This record gives sequence, structure tokens and C-alpha cells, in this order.
Amino acid sequence: MAEKLLELKEITKRFPGVLALDHVQLEIQRGEVLALCGENGAGKSTLMKVLLGAYQSDEGTMVFKGRPYKPKSPSDALNMGISMIHQEISLVHTMTVMENIWIGREDKFTKHGIIDTKEMEEATKRLLDEYEIDLNPYTTVSHLSIANMQLVEILRAVSYDSDVIIMDEPTSALTNKEVDKLYHMIRTLSEKGTAIIYISHKLDEVFEISDRITVLRDGKYIVTLQTNGTDEEQLVSYMVGRELSDIFHKEDVEPGEIALEVEGISREGYFENISFQVRKGEVLGFCGLMGSGRTEIMQAIYAIDKADSGMVKVNGKEVHIHTPKDAIRNRIGMVTEDRLRKGVIHHLPVKTNMTLAYLDSICKFGFIDFHREQSDFEKYAKALNIKYASGEQEIGVLSGGNQQKVIIGKWLLTNPEILILDEPTRGIDVGAKAEIYRLIHELAAQGKAIIIVSSELPELMGVSDRILVIHQGSITGELERQEFDEKSLMAYAFGISKNQKEKK
Amino acid sequence: MKMNKGKESHLNGNWKDQATVFVLNNKALVILVALVCVAGIITSGVFFKYSNLSSVVRQSAVAAIIGIGFTVVLGGGGIDLSVGNMLGLVGVLFALWSKELPLAAAIILALLVGLVCGTINGLITVKLNLPAFLVTLATSQIFLGAAYIVTDGKMVSELSKEVAFIGQGIVLWVIPFSLVIMLALAFIVAIIMYRTKYGRHVIATGGNPDAAMVSGISVDKIKISVYTIMGVCAALGGIVLTGRTALATAGAGDGMEMDAIAAVVIGGTPMSGGKVKVGGTIFGCLTMGIMNNLLNLAGVSSFWQNVAKGCIIILAILLDAQTEAFFNRRRKTSVIN
Repeated sequence: MAEKLLELKEITKRFPGVLALDHVQLEIQRGEVLALCGENGAGKSTLMKVLLGAYQSDEGTMVFKGRPYKPKSPSDALNMGISMIHQEISLVHTMTVMENIWIGREDKFTKHGIIDTKEMEEATKRLLDEYEIDLNPYTTVSHLSIANMQLVEILRAVSYDSDVIIMDEPTSALTNKEVDKLYHMIRTLSEKGTAIIYISHKLDEVFEISDRITVLRDGKYIVTLQTNGTDEEQLVSYMVGRELSDIFHKEDVEPGEIALEVEGISREGYFENISFQVRKGEVLGFCGLMGSGRTEIMQAIYAIDKADSGMVKVNGKEVHIHTPKDAIRNRIGMVTEDRLRKGVIHHLPVKTNMTLAYLDSICKFGFIDFHREQSDFEKYAKALNIKYASGEQEIGVLSGGNQQKVIIGKWLLTNPEILILDEPTRGIDVGAKAEIYRLIHELAAQGKAIIIVSSELPELMGVSDRILVIHQGSITGELERQEFDEKSLMAYAFGISKNQKEKK
Repeated sequence: MKMNKGKESHLNGNWKDQATVFVLNNKALVILVALVCVAGIITSGVFFKYSNLSSVVRQSAVAAIIGIGFTVVLGGGGIDLSVGNMLGLVGVLFALWSKELPLAAAIILALLVGLVCGTINGLITVKLNLPAFLVTLATSQIFLGAAYIVTDGKMVSELSKEVAFIGQGIVLWVIPFSLVIMLALAFIVAIIMYRTKYGRHVIATGGNPDAAMVSGISVDKIKISVYTIMGVCAALGGIVLTGRTALATAGAGDGMEMDAIAAVVIGGTPMSGGKVKVGGTIFGCLTMGIMNNLLNLAGVSSFWQNVAKGCIIILAILLDAQTEAFFNRRRKTSVIN
């Protein structure tokens, strides 16, 4: 009989004007992996902040290890046995792996004010061995890959020997290999009796690792499901509160002439001899593991990076794209993979973010036509169903999904013929995803050529007419819509098989 | 009592919140108004005498001219520590040329020198991808050295009346000419920053250069250009300062970059880029000017004035950090889904 470790009852949290949590419950047993699902804004983060003591609930009780639990701050929660791995990586880059793991707890290894490095190294090695992670304790963190940094981050949380570990989108920076390591870690932890609360937008992960799933929606508790007694469709319908059978509804668009043609572009160390075409009205999907070179190919076409060789043709004519500015001039738009780093300008207003790329077309002698800017902004904000209070509001306060729609709006304003979307739905909720899929179909129906790069196979198979698979910088497979199949896509992505169609 | 207060603040949260936002967004104006009141009271009216006010304005005008340029540099994500000595260099060159050339030619040449010096800062920083902080610290020494070389370490004096008019003249009976120059510059820069595509591009580049680049902005050109603007502003400041004192020395602008940073930050332009507050900078400069004036009127020695100035700068930076923290908190609690 499993022991009830933590129970949250009737948790309610109000912010001025908002009921963030409305009598929410949550229960977790020792050694259990509980997935917490819901769209952005469903209340997951608020609930976790209450659990960590970052927020105090207005109503409700929490019982932890059979005793009333009322943390006053995250460090309070940590001392009582609840820790959290955040989405963002918070390591000190100039320090070593082990210094980062034990940061703030150097006292453990300190004798007479001097840190015993050997002892710290031993402790770190024990930890690395236990979870079978191959890292040198003395490596400076800045030399690690992002994925390994994330692993260090996770190790640090684990090293507190907490009873409950909250993982918020822990795989966002991990490649498949490290995801497997993370799963292994989670299983080891759960055998030791640690309970895990796993927050993720990636449903395949939720089904892979969790025992039970608790769904929140609009700040309310909806349901808790046994993972092996449910499926993705049911889960999604609980999350969005409506049937989403038409989420990938695709209309047949007769592809037109070739809009973009890429011939033999290469960039040493990233990809080699990539050739493909996209037609007007076609949605071309790019599939591949992280690090396969798919993002780099897009960045080379758009001239964020430089390709070593190769040729790009737009509407049959060779073009020379040296900067993103040239790309825009050739009516190519690109929604980049990294929304925070290369997408939004955090402190600028929503409107300014959206109108940034098309200012040329509303400027007279360099002066902006504010009237047109405002009316165009309102038109697109409405068409894209962006939720915002005012165009002058900083974009940073919008949810991820709305930020992404602003970025997409930025490109639609430039009226592109060719639109490259690199992971357009990463980190945004199901409702916003559905809207972006609908938009992609609309744009294709208008005759725009669309390239979409995505790590999520159901998404790619849902929106694309054709999928190219990249493995280690080369195209290993090409599938038409009727041939789409998750297994064969994965086989190409892992380089197990090849079927590059011969192009004349 | 405490409980009551809590409830009240919840009810009144909205207007209190709005008031706080207004104050933080216009802190220079608020500080300025408070300071003027204090100044009037503790000097029992001496502060408001025309002779005193006009001298405050004249002194502040030079600082504001540099500050306006600095606002653009910070807004575009850069920093320029060489402005003080650049101003000194332009000042002595302008003084020397004004003795031999027609005034207009001397002015144009002086502005050109500023333009070139600024552009050099920009080119080194951007093209060689070096930290602006260190590059401009180094070029600052070069400008100072160059100014000493051209003057042989001597001051340039006995300048013409026309030159003096630029810094001391009065137009329309009461208005210092340097104030007119400063306001004209502020007006032009404000129009450029707020109404033109170029201004948008500067702010976008300062806010997030990667996103700006992806959006088709020539980020490198924008980054260089803000230093060019800074150079022209520094040159203008040099001309006005030379006029005001009717002499020029190589070290005339020494330390002015610090005043500029303080004034700009008090004015609400953050050090982190992506925001430009031209009006705020002017208020910030007036604030600094009135501070100096008060210390003078109170008979505080210039040594202590330095100490005071340093403290004020720390307070300004603290205020900037607090403002950011406040807005960050607001962002976190008011996320719209």
C-alpha cells in the first residue's frame, strides 16, 4: 500500500482581479511520478509556487509527511524536503560542475574555514555514479553543452535528497540521449521513494514517465487519471475542455509553382549538400533530432549564419542573401527557434515588436506613419486572436503563446511568400498550438510556401504535405503525406534507413 | 490597524500602483520639482534670482547636450566613456580654429571632428567586437593626449565675442542661447528616436540585438551610428562650453561622462539599453545642475562637491535598479494568459 506523502486540499489563490487557483487539490504518494498537465495559465506554476512557499495560498491546507505543511519561502520548502528544477538554467558558468552542485552548501565540506576539495569531489562522484552520468566534476560549466548544464542543474536538485522533486519542463534543453538519462534518474529516484511532480507540455514524455496525471484548467482541478488507463486524445480534451478532433484538420491545397529552391548548400560541421524545393501553397516539414542540423539549415537560408556553398532560388531566380534584411527583401520570413533570444524584444511594447520588420512599408522619408501602424497592428492582433491589454504594454507580460503569435504577426505584416517556422509551438499551450496550426493552413491556402521545423512528430505529420528528414546534416528521407508514419520517420532521423528520392 | 491598512491597500491598489508607475517612469521630473521647492526654501529665494537661474541653466545646457547623445548610446545598447575628453579635444580645436577661420567653418570642422571621433569608437567596438566600456576608456586617453598635443598643454584664451555668445549670449531678452541650442538638439533627437524608423531600429537593437537582426535590421550599422551621434553631441557640447568659459583647456571635459551617466539614468534611460528618454535626460541634467548650484550657494567646497556627486550617482543607479525590480515584480504578477 502506497503511503500518502503530500496532499494539497482546496487551495485557492487570488491575485488582484484574478482567481489564479480555485479550490485545487493534488495528492502524491511516495515513489510516484505525478504529471501535472494543463495549458499555460491553467495554474500549474502558481500551484507549484504555493507548494514551494513562494506564494501563500488564501485558502486551503497542505499536509506533508502526515503533518501540516506551511512553507514561508522556497528555502523553507527545501529544508523540509521539497525542491524544484526550474525551466531556466541557473548555474554559475565560471565555476566547475561540483562547485555548482554544492553551491550554498560548502559548509558540508569545510574544515576550519577551508573547503576540502577532495571530499567534495568524492561526494560529486558518488552522485554522478549513482545516476550514471558521465561528467568530470572539475569541468567548468561554461564548457558544457546546454544539455549537460541541464543535467548538472537536475543533479543539484537531486543532491538535496528531497522527498518531493518538482521538475518544470526539464527536457526543454535536452537531446534524446539525455532525456533517456533523465528518465533513468527519475526511475532511480522513485525506487528510492522520492516522489516526482513532472510538468511538461510534451505529452509523449508524460505518457512515458508518469504513473498518474493531474489536469488543471483555468485555475481549477479537473481530473486525475491513471496514465496507463488513458490516451493522448482523452488527456488533451481534458486540458482544453473541448474535443480537438479537428486540431490538425487539413484542407487540400493544390501546390503551385516552385517558390523556394535550395541547391546543394553546405556548412562545414553542420550540414552538407542540402537540396530541396517548396511550392506555393505547400507545407514542407523538417524532421530530425536536435543537433541534426535542421535549424542550422534554416538559419543559413535566412542568412543568420553563413553557408559555405550552394545556391538559393526564389521564384526560379537565383538570389544572394547575405543578411536577414536581404531575405526579407526577397519576401522570406522566419520565426526563429529561440523565441526569447532571437524573437521578442522583451522591454518593447507589443505593438513595436509586431511592426518592427515591416516599418519600411509604412515610412515616408524615414518617418513612421503611426496611424497605419496602429490600424495594421489592431487588424493582425485581432486576426491572430492575440490577448493583450494595450499595444503599448511590454511584450514580456504576455504568455508564451501570445508572444509567439505577435512574432508570427510580425512576419505576416511583411507579407512574405515564403515563411520558415522553426519550432513555432515550443513551450506554448495546446489552445494556442491549435490556432497556430489553423493559421499555417490558412497561409498555405493563400498560396504561401511554408517550411516548418519541429521536434514533435504528431505536429509535423499533422500540418505538413511532405516531410524531409535530416540526420547528421544530410537529408536521409522524404515522405509524402500518405506515407507519413512515426516509425519510419524515426528510422530516418536516427539514420537507420535512407530513401532520398532522386531529383533530376 | 495593520489589518485595516492591508485591506485599504488592496482596494486602492490600482491608483497607488498607477501613481508608483508614473513616479518611476518620470522620476527625474518628480525629483526636479521636489528639488526646486527645497532649493527655493533653503536659499530663501536666492535660488530664484535670474542671475542664479540663468547660470544654472547655462551650466546644465552643456551637460544636457552630452546627456542627450549619451541617451542614444545607452538606448542602443552601448556606452561611451570617452565623451568627456572628446569634448575637451573638440573644445580646444574649435578655440584654435575660431581664431583663424570664419566662425561657421570652425563650428563645422569641430562638429566633423566629433563625428569622426565617435565613429571611430563605434567602428572599433563593433567591427573588432570589443567591449565598448574598455574601448572608449582607451580612446578617452587618446583624445586627452591629442588635446594636450595640439595645445602643447596651454590653455587657449582671448576668444572672439561671437564664440563667447554661443555659451553666454542671451536671446529674446532673457533666454540663454545655450538653452536654445540644447532644446533644439533635444527636439531633433526626440523626433528621430520616437518618430522615425531609425529610432525604432536603435531601440530594438538596444533591447535585443539578435531579435533585431532577425527582423532585418542592420544591427552593426545602427550600433556604429549611435557612437557617431554621440560624437556630434560631444562636439556641440565642446563648442558651447568653450563659448561659456571663453577659453579652452585640454582637460575641460574631464569627468563629464560620469555626470552624463548619472543624469541619463536619473532621467529613466536604463543602462541595459532598449529605452530612450530624451526629456528625462534633460530633467536629470537640471537636477544635477541644481544640486551643484545648491552646494555652491551653501558654500560647500568643491572637494566635498565631488563626494556629493559620487553619492548622487550611486543613488541614481540604486534607483534605476529598484525601478527595474519593481517592474519585474509587476510583470510577474500581471502576466496575461
